Amino acid sequence: MESDSGKLKMKKEDMVKLISAEGFEFVIDKKAAMVSQTIRNMLTSPGSFAETEHGEVTFPEISTTILEKICQYFYWSLQYASFYIEVILVHIYIGHCSAHSGKETEFHIEPELTLELMMAANYLHT
Amino acid sequence: MNSNQKKRNFQIEAFKHKVVVDPKYAEKTWKILEHAIHEIYNHNASGLSFEELYRNAYNMVLHKFGEKLYSGLVSTMTFHLQEMAKTIEAAQGGSFLEELNRKWTDHNKALQMIRDILMYMDRTFIPSTHKTPVHELGLNLWRDNVIHSSKIQMRLLNTLLELILRERTGEVINRGLMRNIIKMLMDLGPSVYQEDFEKPFLEVSADFYRAESQEFIECCDCGDYLKKAERRLNEEIERVSQYLDTKSESKITNVVEKEMIASHMLRLVHMENSGLVNMLIDDKYDDLGRMYSLFRRVPEGLPTIRDVMTTHLRETGKQLVTDPEKLKDPVEFVQSLLNEKDKYDKVINKAFSNDKTFQNALNSSFEYFINLNPRSPEFISLFVDEKLRKGLKGVSEEDVETILDKVMMLFRYLQEKDVFEKYYKQHLAKRLLSGKTVSDDAERSLIVKLKTECGYQFTSKLEGMFTDMKTSQDTMQGFYSNYGPELGDGPTLVVQVLTTGSWPTQPSVTCNLPAEMSALCEKFRSYYLGTHTGRRLSWQTNMGTADLKATFGKGQKHELNVSTYQMCVLMLFNNADRLRYKEIEQATEIPSSDLRRCLQSLALVKGKNVLRKEPMSKDIAEDDTFVVNDKFSSKFYKVKIGTVVAQKESEPEKQETRQRVEEDRKPQIEAAIVRIMKSRRVLDHNNIIAEVTKQLQSRFLANPGEIKKRIESLIEREFLERDSADRKMYRYLA
Repeated sequence: MESDSGKLKMKKEDMVKLISAEGFEFVIDKKAAMVSQTIRNMLTSPGSFAETEHGEVTFPEISTTILEKICQYFYWSLQYASFYIEVILVHIYIGHCSAHSGKETEFHIEPELTLELMMAANYLHT
Repeated sequence: MNSNQKKRNFQIEAFKHKVVVDPKYAEKTWKILEHAIHEIYNHNASGLSFEELYRNAYNMVLHKFGEKLYSGLVSTMTFHLQEMAKTIEAAQGGSFLEELNRKWTDHNKALQMIRDILMYMDRTFIPSTHKTPVHELGLNLWRDNVIHSSKIQMRLLNTLLELILRERTGEVINRGLMRNIIKMLMDLGPSVYQEDFEKPFLEVSADFYRAESQEFIECCDCGDYLKKAERRLNEEIERVSQYLDTKSESKITNVVEKEMIASHMLRLVHMENSGLVNMLIDDKYDDLGRMYSLFRRVPEGLPTIRDVMTTHLRETGKQLVTDPEKLKDPVEFVQSLLNEKDKYDKVINKAFSNDKTFQNALNSSFEYFINLNPRSPEFISLFVDEKLRKGLKGVSEEDVETILDKVMMLFRYLQEKDVFEKYYKQHLAKRLLSGKTVSDDAERSLIVKLKTECGYQFTSKLEGMFTDMKTSQDTMQGFYSNYGPELGDGPTLVVQVLTTGSWPTQPSVTCNLPAEMSALCEKFRSYYLGTHTGRRLSWQTNMGTADLKATFGKGQKHELNVSTYQMCVLMLFNNADRLRYKEIEQATEIPSSDLRRCLQSLALVKGKNVLRKEPMSKDIAEDDTFVVNDKFSSKFYKVKIGTVVAQKESEPEKQETRQRVEEDRKPQIEAAIVRIMKSRRVLDHNNIIAEVTKQLQSRFLANPGEIKKRIESLIEREFLERDSADRKMYRYLA
């Protein structure tokens, strides 16, 4: 993902940099990032917080693996209807989300990530 | 499945916050947040990390320090708001509102930011503990610490009211600022807006307009006052749209309406020289329209206008129908009624937006005063007569229709439609017999209108008259094709055979016709009775006309158009030079009143005096002598000698017609009583009267006394009987 930023040459204002606990940087579309209500508030709050000014957000409590997964989810969510989010949550609970891997629209979550991902989702209000 | 096994490997601490052991953790975290809030209020937020603050608040809530976070927020915010209040209080004069507005903007922005970073608390802690959400909390604190601070509350209200007063007196104020401040009050909740602004605002406005309207009404005329009131009303509406809550519009307009219109309504309407009546008289459509639209806003407003209009209308109408000048000329009389109707139709159309209730008031007023004059039916019929005789010459078909429609409208107002029918019949008969009607189409069109209005029964006789005219034409053709050759050069006879009953014929004495005429008449009689057996012909010499060729002393020739009576008189002079009144009367046997009238028109009308009377005087006396006026001259070859007929009925004739109408009504009333009793069998007196009146309404207004007489007559003839127990009840006897 990091390397993508160079190729795409998007306008800087349309992009946002998310930095994981280990210091990995993910540059993604603002539109995608704003799937998270928390990030949306960060970037749109009327006061000029550091995040708004620099266009980057550091998450000292989110690991690279999880953040990557989250970014993937952002794009996925942007593309498919919010309807699927519920489906995913149900799958996470049951713990066999790969059962329907035949469907292309499904968002694949590795079982070992589920808990951490859920906590991050709560934090990010996604 | 793999996942099941792997689950055991999960660690609860996957999310990497430290397990809280530090007892000062909460204190420390809060300090960070508190500091951030201070910085936000000091416009210093640019160095802060949203993520860090959000995370701290998140963790505090997560670790059950929500309560601490919340109360900390309340006290910190309260502190800042109190600081703000002090600055605002310190602002001098005009800058007060500006300062307040500035601080409000600041607070709003800060509040937004604080809410964003404390979003997690808003989402989880607040709903579960039923506390006030951050944004609302911020507004409440602002309300309690700033707006309701003792030094601000009254000052704010007074400043706002002062500004509005200044605007009302014509000054320009900063509406943008007003809008912001009012918006602030509205944001703080409807109760704040209402209690802290709207209520006092309405009170002050009421006082203002009470005083102002008092001043206006003393010095303005009605039209000006209404203009001012309308302007004020529009100003208030505009003010609301500019910077007040839209819900205030009805309230403030109510105040203006009440103070400026409702409390002065009667005085305005009755204002001398400029009130409603004057507006009506002068056709002031604008003023009337304004009055209508303003008064419509207040209860009892429109009824007030309507009542005054009705009273005025009845008053003027009454004057109109009883004005002795107008009574002299029926056409003028009806025309002025029509003008009056047109005038008010226009007023209602232009100023009262065609309000149905006003139209009804207009109609009932007309109905009221038209029937005040018992001669209205006669005059309306005369008006039609005049129009159909000559008034409609050269007028387009549409205009004819319009005039006829207007007449019908007046007709509708009449209560005694049967009287109209009577006169109409007479006038129509005259028109038809003298061939004076301008347009057959117009005649028929009016009859159709009457038919739609009153039904077949009403017009059947009128239509019979038309039929008679038509058949008579055919009969005459038949007569002449049979006898034409043997009649030679003698006089020409045109007979109209009239069905008895259809025509308003009066039994009259047939006068002595000149010999050549009576011979012709006999021929016709035998022809007619030959084709129609079982009929009887009697001559109505009082209704005919004749054309005479006359040669006067100096050889001047004229064609004289005269009535049958006049013809009889003139023909006598073929055999005599001078005749005495008595001789004429004996020879012709014309009834004396008719003879006098006929001689009058022959001898005393200037320019048409084919006879000369000796001695010369204005009246016909029994011993007068008549000679042919040799010096008669006229520029026209044809001379029409009208009988001196009273256009209008004279007093005795009127009485007679009235009596005939009353006579005609009797069987109608009786028929109605019998119809009703037949279906009801038993009914009490009052109900009979009510029902009879209702049934006959379309023809005339039945007089209760007359109905009573009819009931009695029916009892005598044993159609009805009185109930033996209850004398007020009647019983139908089959």
